[in-house]
Amino acid sequence: MNFQPDNNTAQKPPDTRIRLKRFDQQNEELRSRLSIYASWFLFCCFCLISARLWYLQVMQGAYFRAQSERNSIKSIRLQPYRGNILDRSGRLLAGVEPSFNIGIVLKDAGDLEALLSKLEPLLDEPPMNVRMKLVAAKGQPAYLPVIIKRNAEWSTVAKIEARLYELPGVVVEVAPSRQYPYGKIAPHLLGYLAEVSLDQLKSGKFSHAVPGDLVGKYGVEAKFETQLAGKSGYKRVEVDARGRMVRVVDVKLPKTGQDLSLTIDLDLQLAAEEALSGRPGAVVALDPRNGQLLVMASSPKFDPAIFANGLSREEWKALNDPLLTPLVNKAIQGQYAPGSTFKTVMAAAGLNENVVSQYSTFFCNGSMKLGRRRFRCWKKGGHGKTDLYKALVQSCDVYFYNTGLKLGVDRISRYASGFGLGKKTGIDLPGEKAGRVPTREWKYRRFREPWQKGETLNYSIGQGFLMVTPLQLARMISAVANGGMLYKPEYILGKPAEKQARVPVKPQALAFIRHALEGVVADRHGTARTCRIPDLRVAGKTGTAQVVRQSKRKQDEKMAWRFKDHALFVAFAPVEDPQIAVAVIIEHGGHGGSAAAPVARAVIERWLQLRSPKPTTFLERTASVPGRKPRV
Amino acid sequence: MFDKRLFEDMDWWLLLSLVVIMALAFVNLWSASAAAGYPFQWKQLQWYTIGSVMMFGVLVFDYRKLASYWIHIYVLTIVMLLLVMFVGKSVSGSQRWISLGFINLQPSEFAKLLMVVVISSFFAQEDKEQYGLADLWKPLLLVLVPVLLIVKQPDLGTGLLVLGIFASLVYYARLKWTSFLIILGMGMAAFPLLWKFMKPYQRRRVEIFLNPESDPFGAGWHVLQSKIAVGSGQVLGKGFMKGTQAQLNFLPEVHTDFAFSIWSEEWGFAGAMILIGVYFFFLVRCLSIAQNARDRFGSFLVFGITAMIFWQLLINVCMVLGLMPVVGIPLPLVSYGGSSVLTTLVGVGLIMNVRLRRSLFQGKEAGKPRLHYRDTASGIGGS
Repeated sequence: MNFQPDNNTAQKPPDTRIRLKRFDQQNEELRSRLSIYASWFLFCCFCLISARLWYLQVMQGAYFRAQSERNSIKSIRLQPYRGNILDRSGRLLAGVEPSFNIGIVLKDAGDLEALLSKLEPLLDEPPMNVRMKLVAAKGQPAYLPVIIKRNAEWSTVAKIEARLYELPGVVVEVAPSRQYPYGKIAPHLLGYLAEVSLDQLKSGKFSHAVPGDLVGKYGVEAKFETQLAGKSGYKRVEVDARGRMVRVVDVKLPKTGQDLSLTIDLDLQLAAEEALSGRPGAVVALDPRNGQLLVMASSPKFDPAIFANGLSREEWKALNDPLLTPLVNKAIQGQYAPGSTFKTVMAAAGLNENVVSQYSTFFCNGSMKLGRRRFRCWKKGGHGKTDLYKALVQSCDVYFYNTGLKLGVDRISRYASGFGLGKKTGIDLPGEKAGRVPTREWKYRRFREPWQKGETLNYSIGQGFLMVTPLQLARMISAVANGGMLYKPEYILGKPAEKQARVPVKPQALAFIRHALEGVVADRHGTARTCRIPDLRVAGKTGTAQVVRQSKRKQDEKMAWRFKDHALFVAFAPVEDPQIAVAVIIEHGGHGGSAAAPVARAVIERWLQLRSPKPTTFLERTASVPGRKPRV
Repeated sequence: MFDKRLFEDMDWWLLLSLVVIMALAFVNLWSASAAAGYPFQWKQLQWYTIGSVMMFGVLVFDYRKLASYWIHIYVLTIVMLLLVMFVGKSVSGSQRWISLGFINLQPSEFAKLLMVVVISSFFAQEDKEQYGLADLWKPLLLVLVPVLLIVKQPDLGTGLLVLGIFASLVYYARLKWTSFLIILGMGMAAFPLLWKFMKPYQRRRVEIFLNPESDPFGAGWHVLQSKIAVGSGQVLGKGFMKGTQAQLNFLPEVHTDFAFSIWSEEWGFAGAMILIGVYFFFLVRCLSIAQNARDRFGSFLVFGITAMIFWQLLINVCMVLGLMPVVGIPLPLVSYGGSSVLTTLVGVGLIMNVRLRRSLFQGKEAGKPRLHYRDTASGIGGS
């Protein structure tokens, strides 16, 4: 249309007010140049922005994508239920139930002092404890809550939930916690849970745990931690900028820990703990046929639940009482002189080495003189003419002094070791003690003195240097009961019995000892008449271990408790087919027959009640023993 | 009243890029509205419509008339800004709005455009080969009055923006090198003064920009979250309405100042490059209109409006990408805001106006090498 004349404009009268200048050529070129410069500047800015976008979105894209996910995706850890611990017939020794934990997320707490001043009146917990926990949690990630109260009462939870809006950073979590439906039974065996320490986390052994988690710290709970703990799951939720949940992204359910079945029999364990009734001591019961642990009781007990919430100073002091030692598992860590229970080993050694026979007799007039020293029998008047049977039944010391002299320390030690004393039984629990079987070399190494004959006499009646654990005693008597087999004590149900060694004693000798030990319980003069049980043939041996030297002590009822003798008793039943072997020690309990035997009796009686089918006939107890000499 | 030839000279590419920008912005606001919890996209569409009508309305009259009314325009600007000062509505500490009952207008937005007209007519009238300091004190004074009024609101960003537009026009008018150096020196000397003028929150923003990690949960939050949003978009973006940063409210002001942030998050590098590319194409088209304008006022007017849009784009995008401290400058057309949309669209209308009336100068000589002469007092087309 450009060929047309510009009539439109031409027709219109020019607006007089529009007085604008057209460019001249020079000016136009200048504008043109300046515009082109500006375009180049624009292009540079475009390149700058593009480069920045490339850097942020392409080069750093993955990093920022992760950042945005970390912003919006919160992972909530789902705690697994810990595996149950069951007894041999499937009853719950330790289970789990949901409970409430109250924690503080330090990152969200803001002014901690102000928060604590509001929170403390709501908690039924001393403020000092709360602060201690916060101090102890220094160094854990700030986004994880510091648990300040475990197992909170429902009323406390309700109070806090209602005021949550003015308590920034306070969280109430539902967490599984250990429950003990039958009360605190066998705490030394089961162990306890406590909050995992930062050092433990660093060690890498607790890779499944995060700060604030409870992990097994003792006993079975510690030994089978990985199996019991299970695997934690997570729930990933999308949250908005205010932390409100928008949706659940995905859920991985936690894997409940595996249940653990123990060989412990709940009824027997309860009977043992009841019979101990808080007196310091221990009871161990084994199945002599396979070494399975039926009872492991150590007294006094502790409450395994208190460790989870952290101990107060008083609680810690009470647990570490130097006399009662509630934290020590006396069944495997307590080391005692076996006293007269050792005469079982002496008799076996004597018979096997032919230094005595069933028929050999010694005369007991109440003491025995060796050099210038007089070694007493416990019975002042003496036992008179005594054979091996009578010596065991009435626990004559003089008989075994003589036997010991004939055997000598080396042979006694060999047989003591043969019965599994003086070394760890190999039970799968941490902290087991070995006890001690003295030898000439040991004496010399330890004291730089040769072995004295008098020490052999003390040794012969289970005093002096000899030290055993209740578990060793139970295994020793099991070996007597089962014909000489030492099994590894086992507390996990379903594991095959593990034969460790055979006691180097002829079966006939063991048979005679079984017969004599039955007399200990059954005979009129037996020292363990308190363990008699109707309808059941029980065999046993009492022991009374001196705590202080005889010369220092006075046979006086008012004597301080801690100088009193330890009471010991080992037993098995039924004699014709031994199925349970028990070792009992009552610290400072006095006589084995009066203090320890009733405890064993309670356990065996309970066993008898539960046994099915019940024995219906009372077998003549002498029938099975061949060639027995008529009693004196 | 329209010459047929007017539409022959229509820059269709310019119009097309403008429509594309508005379409993309509408889609983006749809998502941002979901995040912000208010249907801003429909209100923005309303503004687009009103703005477009005004844009075409502006085409009706000859832009050259504006030059002669510059004093009226200037007074109008000052009055509006004074009105804000006395009867303005205060939102979060800044008094920027005038309430008309049904809508709130932001006079400082209009002031930007009006000042372009004023300065352009000044330079059109005071025609010189080059400008020295002595020639500039008059326009500078003209500019400083509204700038101070805007800064007082307080709206430092827009105030500086008006100064930036002025500087761009001075560049276009050609400044003497010596004067440039002197101004540069004075500007640097004035910076501490500016710092003194700043409100504490503004200083904090600059500090945060210089050291963004110093306070990630406080003042640095916005920039950090914006960078995360943009970066997390990666190459292809998270998808429409799927930007977690925006939809979960980690991004602040997602429908206004940080609109480009959500766009980059949801459409990725590809989407961001398309939007920025179209925008720069649009700006380059505008510059070519300035270049080809037949008269001094028209050329200055187009250049000034282009500068106005460009500086806003640059400042907003650089802020979103963490290259600049946080300042409340919207991305024209993309950010929600009625006054901003109207100003921008009317500005584009003026640019088109200049382009359309280009041929009016050509007359019979069209198609031939143009005659270059001064059309002094006789008006247009006086060949």
